[in-house]
Amino acid sequence: MTNAAATGTERTNIQIVSEDDVVRVEDLRLSFYTSLGVVRALNGVSFNIPRGKVLGVVGESGCGKSQTGLAIMQLTFGRIEEGRILFREFNTSEVIDITKLEKNGPEMRRIRGNHISMIFQEPMTSLNPCYTVGHQIEEAILLHQTRDKAEARRRTVDILRKVGMPNPERIADSYPHQLSGGMRQRAMIAMALSCNPTLLIADEPTTALDVTTEAQILDLMRDLQHEIGTSIMFITHNMGVVAQMCDEVAVMYLGRVIERAAVDDIFYDPKHPYTISLLRSIPRLGIARGQKLESIKGTVPDPYSTVPGCPFHPRCPAAIPGLCDTVMPEEIFIAGSQTHTVRCHLYT
Amino acid sequence: MDTAKKNGRSDEILLEVRGLKKHFPIHSGFLRRVTGYVKAVDGIDFYIKKGETLGLVGESGCGKSTTGRTILRLLDPTAGEIIFDDPNIGKVDLAKLSRAQLKRVRPNMQIIFQDPFSSLNPRLTVGQIVGEPLEIQKAASGQALRDRVAELLQEVGIRPENMTRYPHAFSGGQRQRIGIARALALNPKLIVCDEPVSALDVSIQAQVLNLLEDLQEKYNLTYLFIAHDLSVVEHISDRVAVMYVGYIVEMASTEDLYYHPKHPYTEALLAAIPKPDPRKRTRPIKLPGDVPNPANPPSGCYFHPRCRYAEDICKVERPPLRDIGGEHWVACHFAERLQLQGVTRLNEIPLIELPKRQAPVPAASPAS
Ligand SMILES: Nc1ncnc2c1ncn2[C@@H]1O[C@H](COP(=O)(O)OP(=O)(O)OP(=O)(O)O)[C@@H](O)[C@H]1O
Ligand SMILES: Nc1ncnc2c1ncn2[C@@H]1O[C@H](COP(=O)(O)OP(=O)(O)OP(=O)(O)O)[C@@H](O)[C@H]1O
Ligand code: SF4
Ligand code: SF4
Ligand SMILES: [Mg+2]
Ligand SMILES: [Mg+2]
Repeated sequence: MTNAAATGTERTNIQIVSEDDVVRVEDLRLSFYTSLGVVRALNGVSFNIPRGKVLGVVGESGCGKSQTGLAIMQLTFGRIEEGRILFREFNTSEVIDITKLEKNGPEMRRIRGNHISMIFQEPMTSLNPCYTVGHQIEEAILLHQTRDKAEARRRTVDILRKVGMPNPERIADSYPHQLSGGMRQRAMIAMALSCNPTLLIADEPTTALDVTTEAQILDLMRDLQHEIGTSIMFITHNMGVVAQMCDEVAVMYLGRVIERAAVDDIFYDPKHPYTISLLRSIPRLGIARGQKLESIKGTVPDPYSTVPGCPFHPRCPAAIPGLCDTVMPEEIFIAGSQTHTVRCHLYT
Repeated sequence: MDTAKKNGRSDEILLEVRGLKKHFPIHSGFLRRVTGYVKAVDGIDFYIKKGETLGLVGESGCGKSTTGRTILRLLDPTAGEIIFDDPNIGKVDLAKLSRAQLKRVRPNMQIIFQDPFSSLNPRLTVGQIVGEPLEIQKAASGQALRDRVAELLQEVGIRPENMTRYPHAFSGGQRQRIGIARALALNPKLIVCDEPVSALDVSIQAQVLNLLEDLQEKYNLTYLFIAHDLSVVEHISDRVAVMYVGYIVEMASTEDLYYHPKHPYTEALLAAIPKPDPRKRTRPIKLPGDVPNPANPPSGCYFHPRCRYAEDICKVERPPLRDIGGEHWVACHFAERLQLQGVTRLNEIPLIELPKRQAPVPAASPAS
């Protein structure tokens, strides 16, 4: 891990260094070159996830949460322009820079199947409509876990039961279109969990689930976390789930992490105006029923343009004219803290 | 109590569903013979009043989407009645209408789908998507059509200049707005919203919810609102119905259902809401037993294998949905007797104040 810290000096982003990190993303920049122009999807994303910890990633639609996850899997269609993704498997001291690996090379495929797995945001696009759900999970198990067909079938039914499917045998023999939205999502989850990964990237894993099923899935993930030591990158917009599940939180805005802190600090002592607005827009049980919900005024600027200064300034209620619209705030520690960082001129 | 929340609400019933069933055949074996049925919706009764929002919640796979689609006759019901009070032809049983007759009623009932990414045709421009129902119904053409589309887009907060763009150029929240504009095109009375905000982040979710409420007030719309997020459902619904394995087990005003639930399943559901407070971490008690199989549901009360209050009668007799007073409908043998736990109001986490605007900085100095 020392080589990671050594080159850190030329970077603008703070590294929260921990020997125990399973993954460390450093100054990741990713762009899409489209016929309409260049989309700068990630503009220097940095974070780390220690072993056995859950990092929540939140932020407005389009801010780059999924692309960050896909970049770690080397499944993004965008081009990684800069930055490193350092990854360390269970029980090894070797650190691999994923950005240096060939996308479809044997090393990356080995990591993808065995050590990092991802629950994708859109189950319908990641399940093949032509095969039964059971067949698809069995294939994944046969590829990476065992060569015994009967054993693969048994494990498939078992994992489907664990994600709370009624009659797992029927589900295994169903095609994706015969399942409800939440059942498809659970089939995806089952596939991702079947390999006991070092790192699990869960991209909005419970959006289609009711609260009891959600609780069951979260429990299943906590078991993985505690028994195997899996680290989880948990992308979600459900702040209730963040509060219940995550150890740390990274808040993203337009391809950058704009605040990072322990979960308690994010809820009780948020600093960035965007984080505060986000928390204010959640509907709270029993409060202000029948009143309008607060929402953040304005919309995210279109991805082909770049905003000068702080990217949040056109929408920020606290923007400082003459500063926020010209100078990009750097990521700094909040006074007196070693873990809470923010990108905002109010705290410099 | 905020029963007077919406001005347009009345006691007149817009839609009444009686004994609705939708069973899907299960094919298996080499010959793909029908070997059984998934009883996705298995005899449900409910009603929606004009101008109100009825929330529909329940476990994943319990039949909510199937209910929504069957009501609109996107799926054909296996049994039951769907009585709709059409503004032009009066009360009709949609379950009995032929395709041709349905075409006359259709404009009054629309659906908004969960997934803003796959529910819009990527090959059509936004203008074509929103205008399509108008063309199909021959409600407008030429300039009148373009004007109406522009008006609809404006209504949902999308600039009409965007008419010629394709859906991929829009964010999730914007696409959901386009879906709403399309649903509004024919001035419907009833809109089935199948998880309309599940895929959206909280701030955009708030915008879309506010929009749905504004439109409801303005056009006196009636919503069947299917969702998983119980805080969202509480926020938007006048009444809420809870489904369990193809059956409605409780239906009451939002206030009663959340704070005075009468069905053990509702209690379990409410207890599992993840609270947005890291200092109140709970691991909700898991419901014991397996999730029932809708192809082969348990005997008696479907909830009995997992119910902590179950008694012998529950294994043999299925409790009917009945009104225990004040339009509080419950399907439990012991609804009157049980003391169940509702939700607690979430007023302890601080609402952080937004920082105020600062004084301008005279000359922009480079960041230190
Ligand atoms: N294939 C692509 N071509 C061009 N731009 C893309 C492509 N895929 C993603 N983007 C852009 O990358 C940015 C980040 O997208 P990403 O999917 O990571 O957002 P997200 O934070 O996951 O949002 P959501 O909450 O809606 O899932 C967006 O601006 C998006 O428009
Ligand atoms: N076309 C179909 N063929 C066979 N079975 C189906 C079909 N569509 C739905 N089902 C079954 O009907 C049941 C109810 O599905 P439905 O989609 O209504 O659930 P839901 O309550 O909307 O769930 P979710 O919250 O997960 O969206 C499920 O068991 C599902 O497998
Ligand atoms: S830097 Fe300025 S504009 Fe940006 S969030 Fe802070 S106060 Fe608002
Ligand atoms: S009828 Fe019996 S099993 Fe069913 S919910 Fe009531 S107490 Fe529980
Ligand atoms: Mg995403
Ligand atoms: Mg559904």
